[in-house]
Amino acid sequence: MILRIARKELLDLSRDGRFRVLSALVLIVSVVSLAAGWKTYTDLAAQHRTAQLATRDQWLNQPKKNPHSAAHYGVYAFKPASQMAMVDTGIDPYVGVAVWLEAHKQNEMKYRPAQDRTAVQRFGSMNGAEVLQVLVPLFIVLMAFSAFAGEREQGTLRQLLSVGARPHDLALGKALGVASALGAVLLPATALSVVALTLSTSEGLLADDPWRVVTIGTVYLTYFAVVTALALWVSAWASSARLALVVLLTAWFASAIVAPRVVSDLAAWLHPTPSAVEFQKALEADLNNEKDMKERLDRRRDDLLKHYNVASVDALPIAFSGVSLQEGEEHGNEVFDKHFGALFGRYERQNRVFQWSALVAPTLAVRGLSMGFSGTDFGQHRHFVTAAESYRRDIQRTLNGDIAKHQQAGQVYMAGRELWDQVPAFSYEPPTAGWVVGQYAIALAVLGAWLAAAVVLMMRAASTALVD
Amino acid sequence: MLARIIRHEWRTLSADSTLWVVGVAFIAAIGYGVWNGARWVGFQQAALASASAEEAERYVKLQTEVDDLQRTGGKVSPFRDPRSPSNAGGRLGPRYASLPPGPLAALAVGQSDLLPYYFKVSTDSRDAVVGATEIENPQRLLVGRFDLAFVLIFFYPILILALCYNMLSAEQEQGTLALTLSQPLSLATLTTGKVLLRATVLVGLVVVCTLAALVIGGVDLAAPGALARLGLWVAAVVAYGAFWFGLAMLVASFGLRSAANATVLASAWLVLVVVLPSVFNLVATSVFPVPSRMELVQAVRAASDDANAAGSKLLATYYEDHPELATGDAAQAMTDFNVVRVAVNDDVERRVRPVIVRYEQQIAGQQRLVDGLRFISPAVLMQSALNDIAGTGYERHQRFLQQVDGYHAAWRQFFTPLIFQKASFTDYRTTPRFAFEEETSGRVADRVTPAVLGLAIPALALVWLALARLGRFPVVS
Repeated sequence: MILRIARKELLDLSRDGRFRVLSALVLIVSVVSLAAGWKTYTDLAAQHRTAQLATRDQWLNQPKKNPHSAAHYGVYAFKPASQMAMVDTGIDPYVGVAVWLEAHKQNEMKYRPAQDRTAVQRFGSMNGAEVLQVLVPLFIVLMAFSAFAGEREQGTLRQLLSVGARPHDLALGKALGVASALGAVLLPATALSVVALTLSTSEGLLADDPWRVVTIGTVYLTYFAVVTALALWVSAWASSARLALVVLLTAWFASAIVAPRVVSDLAAWLHPTPSAVEFQKALEADLNNEKDMKERLDRRRDDLLKHYNVASVDALPIAFSGVSLQEGEEHGNEVFDKHFGALFGRYERQNRVFQWSALVAPTLAVRGLSMGFSGTDFGQHRHFVTAAESYRRDIQRTLNGDIAKHQQAGQVYMAGRELWDQVPAFSYEPPTAGWVVGQYAIALAVLGAWLAAAVVLMMRAASTALVD
Repeated sequence: MLARIIRHEWRTLSADSTLWVVGVAFIAAIGYGVWNGARWVGFQQAALASASAEEAERYVKLQTEVDDLQRTGGKVSPFRDPRSPSNAGGRLGPRYASLPPGPLAALAVGQSDLLPYYFKVSTDSRDAVVGATEIENPQRLLVGRFDLAFVLIFFYPILILALCYNMLSAEQEQGTLALTLSQPLSLATLTTGKVLLRATVLVGLVVVCTLAALVIGGVDLAAPGALARLGLWVAAVVAYGAFWFGLAMLVASFGLRSAANATVLASAWLVLVVVLPSVFNLVATSVFPVPSRMELVQAVRAASDDANAAGSKLLATYYEDHPELATGDAAQAMTDFNVVRVAVNDDVERRVRPVIVRYEQQIAGQQRLVDGLRFISPAVLMQSALNDIAGTGYERHQRFLQQVDGYHAAWRQFFTPLIFQKASFTDYRTTPRFAFEEETSGRVADRVTPAVLGLAIPALALVWLALARLGRFPVVS
């Protein structure tokens, strides 16, 4: 029975000119956005490879110099593009691509790609995520709004029920009909994206993490199921097809266009961030806290004197200048952890507001999850920043350790290639899909709750729907 | 006759309680949008005030230190000496170059949350100077702000379409149209009356509410250029509204049923406001792709390596990092090194310039392309007009960057001779200052006018077409 209803829905839709136009639009936009995403990714991956090799090369081919000069020269860490960014570019355009890892300082990531684009980007960029989050729900609404209300207006609902069709079967059948129509449009696009993902790297399909593909697919399917069920619920509840359409379109506009901005304001209001001037001022005040620095250095000196059982630093078997430089680093690290930790913590609290706000609109849960599983959300940006910073700290430790070991009083110590070789190349391992799941527990739970609620609402409305 | 139609329409419309609810929601959205914009302007002003306070405080401290050293003849490490012109122009005495929000910045946040509006200008390389950005959660940048521009670009057309989609078809469906037209009255006059009323009410609502919100929000409308910009803003609001009214009239003139009108108009909105702008972005970034700045980083790096290898001695590089460790005449070594550094910096800048120009050309190419494409989408036209009026778009920021470049050059020119003369720098008050030279209202008008015309001309064409078609309207079907 369910299948027969679904087949009838599909047939109805395929005969509708509006459906054909809309599905063609969604298909074309998906293919174009996919092609653009593929091009962007492959370009970026190539540029990233070149830059990463070049910075390594520069590091290794430094002339002989004091290790601390090398520390100031530093290296760059470049953020790799995630393969799944082809589907959802997320915040990537709005964060820097490169960070300079030098002595004494945790620098910020520089060069946001968005600064190299025109204001029209603020309308959005037609990537896969935008098609899936904005256009597809609209598509579902247009297919489903008249499912019950239309039949009621034509008087066929009474007929259907009189021949013994059970309301639950009717609801499920119609949902299935909408789903198959959707599948007809999305399956080719999905197949193409799998091909694109395969061709984009030499390692072939799913070089990244296959679970990311699985999870993001599940998230979107769940989302479409929620939208379909809600649309059918409204259609069963509304007194006319027109009312159902108005309600659904208003809900679409409110959740896809308005809600993200309102929630963003709310998040900033709840967890305000400082201006760069204020941030810098506070950071520098702590960094230049000479008392702190001096106490730390005195402690370290006393420890060393005691450990080697000598009277003065000149009598130490290691060069105190190296120790002192490292102590400076340790002091800086604490300050950076405190300030950047607080700032990033604020961003994350703001982003949690986004997750909770999904209680009002499921789209908001999907926005976050889609970015998360595409590897283009703030959490994974921070993951990269942390990895780059800990690499910087390793470099400083190696170089300062070398100074402590080799520096002789009264002469300038020069190191060479052997020391540069001791610093390994920077390699970054992005987190797994499981890690992302942990980050988005709230959004996942809320999305699950939406699915349950939407299905229950749809079933109940179908069985209690007025016949005419 | 027209007056009578308008009066009657007002009575009919005002009896509809849904419209009142929607109207109140719209007013609330306008108020919230302006308030939000004003708050962002306030944030920027506070940041700029905090920057100039930091600068003033630092300058007082430096000057006192200089005066003390001069008076007592005390010794200080050459690395920290505030009298060294190299220290003064570099690490110690940079001044801020800031872009204050324009007089009507509260109307549109535009790109101002993304593009930096203050730089700490020193003798450092241009790249280091203009690389700074304001702090913001990237997810918030991605989402964008709920400002008045958002309300106008997205909501305002929906309201127009909702008011107009059934203005003829409903009467036709109820059978009152034939009755009305049995009077000595043409369909064109009737339609004109209906549209005039709706347009007057809606545009009046937008203008009055915005003005009220601006005044309540404490925006100084007497500021130079504010009124002229406000005039342009009203023109843009009228022209954008006229486009959507014209479109609704044209669709109505086909005499379709209300539901069909609604579908056509909603699709037009979706395509023109949501899909096309997004596609333009895709087209612009695909036709003029800007390579990742990773390439720039490498170019700067390579140029610095070359310049350093040629221009400076290994020891000097070492002193750069820790001159206090230098033995012998450290002060002398330091000045020599500073001279070398000026030369090296200049050389790096010269080598990197072509790379930067390549980036700038691509961005300018995107901008040119979008400037052309925008005539296809009224939403993009409106966005460009609003950003220009508010001073939060590309052009004003480019102007700022150019002025910063000029200031950066002046700053270097001020300090370079002092560094070469190995002079003692004792008066911090003499360092060059930056003041943004605001663009004239005339220049803003030059840019906004094509956009307004790009909205108004199609609007008139739509109205004309609609009126012409109304002659063939199937009053009785």
